[in-house]
Amino acid sequence: MRPWGFFLVRGMGVTFGRLFNGFWQGARRAAGLPGTETHGSGATGVFTVQYPEERLPIPERFRVLPVLIYEETTGEPRCTACGICAKACPPQCIWILQAKGEDGKTRNRPEEFSIEANVCMNCGLCAEFCPFDAIKMDHRFELADTVRKGRDILNLQDLLVSSEYHARIHPKGAAKEAEARARKSAPKPAAPAAPAAG
Amino acid sequence: MPEPPIPAADALDEEVRRHVVVTRWNDLIATVDPVTSWGRRSSLWPLQFGLACCAIEMICTAASRFDIARFGAELFRPSPRQADLMIVSGTVTKKMIPMIVRLWDQMAEPKYVLSMGACANGGGPFKEGYNVVSGVDEFLPVDVWVRGCPPTPQALLNGLMELQKKIDEESFVGAWKRRRRPEVEVPALGPDLVDRRQIPDIRAAAGKGEAQRLVEMKLKPVLKPAPKAGPLSSLEASDAALKDAGMKLAARVGADHVQAAGHALVVDRSVWGQAARVLRGEMGYDFLANLTAADYEGTLEVACHLYRTDQTGGQLAVKVRTDREQSEVPSVSAVWPGADMQEREAWDLLGVKFTGHPNLKRILLWEGFAGHPLRKDWCEAYYEEPRKMFSSRWKEGRVRPGETRVRWGRNVIYPDGFDPSTLPADDAVPADSGNADDRHLPVSLGPQHPSTHGVFQVRALLEGERIVKLEPVMGYLHRNHEKIGERNTWIMNFPYTDRLDYLTSMANNLAYAIAVERLAGIKVPERAEYIRVIMAELTRVVNHLWSIGFLLNDIGAWFTPSLYAIEERELVLDLFEMAAGSRMMCNYMRFSGVAADLPEGFLPAARTLVSERLPRAVDTLDKYLTKSEIVGSRLRGIGVLPRDRAIAHSASGPVLRASGVAYDIRKAEPYSIYDRFKFDVVTAPGGDAYARFLVRLGEIRESLKILDQALAGIPEGPVIEKNQYLLRPPAGEVYSRCENPKGELGFYLVSDGEGSPYRYHVRAPSFINLSAFDEMCRGHLVADVMAILGSIDIVLGETDR
Repeated sequence: MRPWGFFLVRGMGVTFGRLFNGFWQGARRAAGLPGTETHGSGATGVFTVQYPEERLPIPERFRVLPVLIYEETTGEPRCTACGICAKACPPQCIWILQAKGEDGKTRNRPEEFSIEANVCMNCGLCAEFCPFDAIKMDHRFELADTVRKGRDILNLQDLLVSSEYHARIHPKGAAKEAEARARKSAPKPAAPAAPAAG
Repeated sequence: MPEPPIPAADALDEEVRRHVVVTRWNDLIATVDPVTSWGRRSSLWPLQFGLACCAIEMICTAASRFDIARFGAELFRPSPRQADLMIVSGTVTKKMIPMIVRLWDQMAEPKYVLSMGACANGGGPFKEGYNVVSGVDEFLPVDVWVRGCPPTPQALLNGLMELQKKIDEESFVGAWKRRRRPEVEVPALGPDLVDRRQIPDIRAAAGKGEAQRLVEMKLKPVLKPAPKAGPLSSLEASDAALKDAGMKLAARVGADHVQAAGHALVVDRSVWGQAARVLRGEMGYDFLANLTAADYEGTLEVACHLYRTDQTGGQLAVKVRTDREQSEVPSVSAVWPGADMQEREAWDLLGVKFTGHPNLKRILLWEGFAGHPLRKDWCEAYYEEPRKMFSSRWKEGRVRPGETRVRWGRNVIYPDGFDPSTLPADDAVPADSGNADDRHLPVSLGPQHPSTHGVFQVRALLEGERIVKLEPVMGYLHRNHEKIGERNTWIMNFPYTDRLDYLTSMANNLAYAIAVERLAGIKVPERAEYIRVIMAELTRVVNHLWSIGFLLNDIGAWFTPSLYAIEERELVLDLFEMAAGSRMMCNYMRFSGVAADLPEGFLPAARTLVSERLPRAVDTLDKYLTKSEIVGSRLRGIGVLPRDRAIAHSASGPVLRASGVAYDIRKAEPYSIYDRFKFDVVTAPGGDAYARFLVRLGEIRESLKILDQALAGIPEGPVIEKNQYLLRPPAGEVYSRCENPKGELGFYLVSDGEGSPYRYHVRAPSFINLSAFDEMCRGHLVADVMAILGSIDIVLGETDR
């Protein structure tokens, strides 16, 4: 049996230990010593991220709302209005109006592309299954607003971002996709020459 | 015509303005404004009030990593009378909105609403559900909207700063005038949610046969016939065990009363009570894992999945059929007390009448709700088509949000001829206030209560300070998971399972993936199996850390232990975010593998965490808590659940093991690659809250052992066989279960060979563990109820689904 209050004193020891460790690690960090990072599995000292002055590093796969990519060089959206994202979307928040030419025939591009931002569950299935790398999950999370009406349905203009932006926030993913596209569009190796008629 | 200005007076005016600050009334106010606004914006006191998943992120925002105290908003007040900011964090359900409005009315002006997350903003992914309010702004004046599902803590802080900006611009006088804002009328719960402002219109429409929908239903849901039942001899050789059990049962209850359908026995309902006693008593099936029902053409089928806790014999599926219109099935809640709440759920959602049930009333919805929503032909207001994808979305996808398609402009539908004048008056107290008399006092805790772990209500009857009887009341977060799940394609259910028990999304993903893989016979590559185990065990660690932290919260160690626990959890969440893209809603598993390979840097970080940091954290918790006099005196001998009662109540997970039953599905029925790892099943003998605490602590250590082995042995290779968004498992059904951190998470899936499940049922451990809650609490003090609830460890997203 411990004397009364033993655990109280020991508990306060933890609290004060952490307080002083915060200063100590801060001083070490200021001195540029290694092993004093604030994030990651080896984090020490003060744990607080001083948002908004400081932000947590955003991993490449981080996902908030979807965006549509347009080609930096041509300005054309990559979307072909094939509808696979709408088929994969769990809460069915994607609406695609396929463009029609003057002849009344459908074109492979969206006339209108809308996402109900307040229904979207940020799951990323649309981006995962898009065969044209046209829809991707954005990293922008600072989306607080004082108005909702009129801003909860994102249209094509709201959604479009450049391929250069996509490559910036998803460096590895974009490189991989570009490689895959290059492989696909490369001319097929010539068929083995038919044996010369003898 | 204005007078021409006098130059001299102008100069004088200028001079005065330069030297004297206040010359006019408005200037005076303008000097006061910055001070009052500054005071107000720097000391926002949020209401301690969380609804769903977003609330977890809100708690993280208040914890040490994001530290909302830096904005002066750390004083979360449990009482609305002391709070001036309502953070509506999560799905607003119809059952909960009256309480939310009441809380809002009780807050003093100037007060603000911050709507957090897609659900609170506009219904979110659950918008189409029948119990969901599409946006809290239907009732409350929202000041700031924070987007995301869920918004990360940083996004919430961004929203808070947005609100501060808004307050900065507010004039002192304007805020003063807001005091005269009228109260928001508390909506009523009739056959559906009734907004009192619409009552005149509803009354006018009553009985006129006016269209309930603006758009006619193009495609109506189709009922399929139930699988054909045949004699036991029709069972295939692979079902020898089932046939054997069927024969035994037939010998006792009559041969023509037991048949077989698929891989299950079909027992005639006239002998179901007797058969249940035989199954439990003579045949040793003491653990009723799951009881639910399915709706077929002309038939309602009750399905039970039984196991033995001595871990012999595997699963036994038994079914009872009844007429769809005149349903009647004998209740087995006396045989397996764990059936009690599950039968109530089947009554509530499917309308199966259980005769002889002691308390057959609605459990997730409210008394008076019109219809039984999980019946296939019951269609909610925003109903579009029986299965996704909805044809309106593509090719001619002109946006028509749900509210523009329905009669009342919101997610409600009333039976024709509904007369709103039958609704109770606004200030009516619930009629059933328990069997109160002069010796007994009914007390209601929740659904808005800091210690109920969400929107959960406890109706207790006290004698003095002691609990005589207690009833858990739930459904305040019932977001229609199963109804939506039956419209979703198979893959669409992954992100929804994230939102079941939102603290353990990875493990939920795994349980669902395994269930469908069993149904469709899909194989998983080796590396993916390792990744799945790593993720599931990391999830167990974070869940138990969180649970221990908040158990301490419940016994009065206000927030300090949880801060330490949340800190470690954050580091694991970083790993999840790295691999899956989201801290909480991972959506990482896929049929036949995982969505993407582990990113660079994941394994080294995970190894450091698992071998160095987390063991240290567990040791710290152990050192300071296990022998602490306060923890001991508050938890020892509290909420005792003896071994046999735990089994009878179908308790699972740490709750079962703390009663001395060494039952862990990872050992009893190994799934994935758990049979390759060395670990022990942690048990504790006491069956009290303290034992449950010890089991969780021990399980963290065992999980770390598994993680060590898995991280060391993970091979290279592909992580997914074939990732496809359209899957059509062959017709058939499966009940598959996994050992989730909270207990047995089971999925009962019926496939009719189509792109979405015909029946999708979740056996939620948080829900079923509550069935022993009453028994655990009897004789204890009110303060102990919170300790017991904390030790059961529930999450409302899963309890209410």
